[in-house]
Amino acid sequence: MKETYHFPEGLYADIRIEETCDVRFFKLNGELTQDKRVIEAGAKIRVYDGKLWYTASTNEPDEIQKELDALAAIATPDPDILNNPIVRLLEVNVDDRTSLKGDTMLPNIARDRFLTTMKYYEDRCLDTETPEITSWAMMSDGHYEKKTFYSSKGAAISYDYQICSVGYYYLFNDNGRPMEGGKRFFGLTPEDMTGHEAEVISEKERYLDFLKNAVDVEPGDYTCVLSPISTAMFAHESFGHKSEADFMLNDKALRDEWVLGKKVGSDLVSIVDTGDMPNHGYAPYDDEGTKSRETWLIKDGVLTGRLHDSTSAAALSEELTGNCRAQDYYCRPQVRMTNTFMKGGTDSFEDIIKDTKDGIYVYMVSNGTGSSTFVLNTTICYRIRDGKICEPLRVHMLNGSVFKTLFDIDKVGSDFELFDTYTCGKMGQSLRVSAGGPTIRVRTLQVN
Amino acid sequence: MAKIFEKQSSHEIQSSITYEENKPKAFDRSNTVENSYRVYEDGKVGIFYRAGHIDDAEGFRLATADPERLRPYPFMPEAGGKRDRSKVESTFTDREVMETAEKYMKYLTDNYPQFTFAGGVDTRWCCQTLTNDLGTDYSNTDFAVGVGFRFKHKDSLEMIDGGFSFNLRKMDDGTVFREMADLYLSNYEKEAEIPEEIIIDEQYYGLLGILSSELNAENLALGASRLSGKVGEKIFADDFTLEHDMTDKEAWFTRFWDGEGCVLPEEKLVLIENGVIKTGYSDKRVADKYNVPHTRTAYHNYTDLPGPGGLNLRIKRSEKTVKELLNGRPAVIPLQFTGSDMDANGDMTVVISKALLWDGDKVLGHLPEFRVKANFIDIFGKDFLGVGSDDPIYHDKQILYRVHRV
Repeated sequence: MKETYHFPEGLYADIRIEETCDVRFFKLNGELTQDKRVIEAGAKIRVYDGKLWYTASTNEPDEIQKELDALAAIATPDPDILNNPIVRLLEVNVDDRTSLKGDTMLPNIARDRFLTTMKYYEDRCLDTETPEITSWAMMSDGHYEKKTFYSSKGAAISYDYQICSVGYYYLFNDNGRPMEGGKRFFGLTPEDMTGHEAEVISEKERYLDFLKNAVDVEPGDYTCVLSPISTAMFAHESFGHKSEADFMLNDKALRDEWVLGKKVGSDLVSIVDTGDMPNHGYAPYDDEGTKSRETWLIKDGVLTGRLHDSTSAAALSEELTGNCRAQDYYCRPQVRMTNTFMKGGTDSFEDIIKDTKDGIYVYMVSNGTGSSTFVLNTTICYRIRDGKICEPLRVHMLNGSVFKTLFDIDKVGSDFELFDTYTCGKMGQSLRVSAGGPTIRVRTLQVN
Repeated sequence: MAKIFEKQSSHEIQSSITYEENKPKAFDRSNTVENSYRVYEDGKVGIFYRAGHIDDAEGFRLATADPERLRPYPFMPEAGGKRDRSKVESTFTDREVMETAEKYMKYLTDNYPQFTFAGGVDTRWCCQTLTNDLGTDYSNTDFAVGVGFRFKHKDSLEMIDGGFSFNLRKMDDGTVFREMADLYLSNYEKEAEIPEEIIIDEQYYGLLGILSSELNAENLALGASRLSGKVGEKIFADDFTLEHDMTDKEAWFTRFWDGEGCVLPEEKLVLIENGVIKTGYSDKRVADKYNVPHTRTAYHNYTDLPGPGGLNLRIKRSEKTVKELLNGRPAVIPLQFTGSDMDANGDMTVVISKALLWDGDKVLGHLPEFRVKANFIDIFGKDFLGVGSDDPIYHDKQILYRVHRV
């Protein structure tokens, strides 16, 4: 962190420099159809004059000072800018959290190491016998990023992050009805991702069973048991987005509805967000240089916090939380989640199922959205009868009122898991996050 | 074969002003360059991508610097085509961007104080080129002003209740904006009833994403498409014709060549004609591998080899206007909705949480939340009503189709 920039007088300014490396390999029926390696560097420059943020993006790192000067020229300096409520909140952290070195660092990882991991699964998971399997696909990818942040207040921060993944997928076709299913694994390096072949094969059997035997659900209200990955999606979509405070700056209706201290769910419900975990939402500092904290959004059913950038924290007179994040250097940061999860409870999965006389077990979901009514799109579900998981069910979606559903959670499992599979979209920006949770039971959800 | 050098590049300049809760929040601009260098030799190609400027000789050197990363590509790059197309109709300064957004926001807050607004105005200029030493020399330049606002009723507990947007190559006097704002907002507060027969009226680009995947020639060949084995068959409605059309005026920033430098005759490809599937779409690899027609439809990929894609799908318009197609029935304009994935049978469920009801002329009010079911074959088949000859409410093409309440 040796760069020095000349920051303009009477203005707040910050510079976020991003260096990234991305690789991606894709095989379809053994043929390598994607083999990508991209190394990129760019910067986002922001200037604030107390009225408006002026920002510029460049993929010419040598032009940063020029861009900064150009933005300063169109802003209106304010000699008292340091006392602006937003600027006053912005933290001045100095820290170097870079840790990746040598051949664990993606830019130094040879292509063969990814191809070897793909071959590992190819050798163990290839199925040429099952007639319903028409094709198979494999992907492996890696993402490395190093962020460096400087501000006119004196912040100087640097950190890095890396994740690799490998996935094996089967394309099934049963009498003209196609379906795709498989499993994806994550690790720091390609070698960390081997050893999961039994899970791939088990998942293949599950999808085959589903394709051949699933029956249409009778639409209606059901008690639903959500698997950890389904709970994770629920926590993120149904509640996480509502905790992003940029939607309620001066909105009286929403501020009255989301007042801290209000009971919003069952005593069993606690939801937390933190960027300082080594998962897919890792952001020890956000893109305004704020240090991440553990923010309890709901604690024992009570609304206890929300996620902020400097603008929303100043508007609501609350503390910063370290949740101002941007997709990449092309984008202006906004309030976003990091690693968001529902805390685990005490019930075992077996006991939750055994205790459910009539309902639906939601094994896998694909995506979801959340407004007052949240929606979870499902891929594999099962009927529960008399405390046992029965036939596979074709269910399109679950939906319900967020406000009611949080109160309807009556069982929370001890089988907490955190998932690094998530990419979250908001206002045109896709961002890496993780989401987690345990098995939960919801008394009633609408099922279609 | 001697080495063939090819360069693809893009230069893009964007500016935007963003409002949040009726107030200006940020002015953003970017100026970015991307370059892709390709060296073809002996059935292989080396590719190097750089975001930002780089000396061309160095770019080409890096494309072949790692022999392990040379990709099999047993095809010749395109030769000899020359064309320099500009779709630019106007310029719009950053000052004009800010003044227009301010003027529009004032109109919204003066006339509709019961709402709060977010969004703004942006401009985008982009020049894309492809040159190689077989004489190919293509360039495409385009410019558009984008206007988009989201609205939230002050009593609503939702983060957003709806929004509207449009693009223009040449900014008008504000008529398009005012017409859209008035249509969406003037009768929003009235409560309307969900009609017995539910007709959806929407821009069709998102919906056609489903068909795009199903018509990929590789998916068709592998049995991964619900339309596998059905090329040549009549599957959809008599009046449903689908084209990949590069000439459409609402094809923004689209090059007239594909990701492999190929140009379609007439810049159009008919995929479905009067309900009959005529062909899937392919790039050179897929055409060669599965022995299907090469349709010159590869997506653009600066970092790797392209694949089939990059379609500008357009449904042939009806001779009737939207109002004529509705024939006295009201239609639903979805504002906030979430659809399920399509199941193996092509069925899907959609929760429409915010919507307007309109009669083709005016909005009748907003609707309560409801759920509908649809099947992707039926949307373009027995439930297809047509694409109007005019562009009301969206300032763009719109499809009308029936769905079924659940």
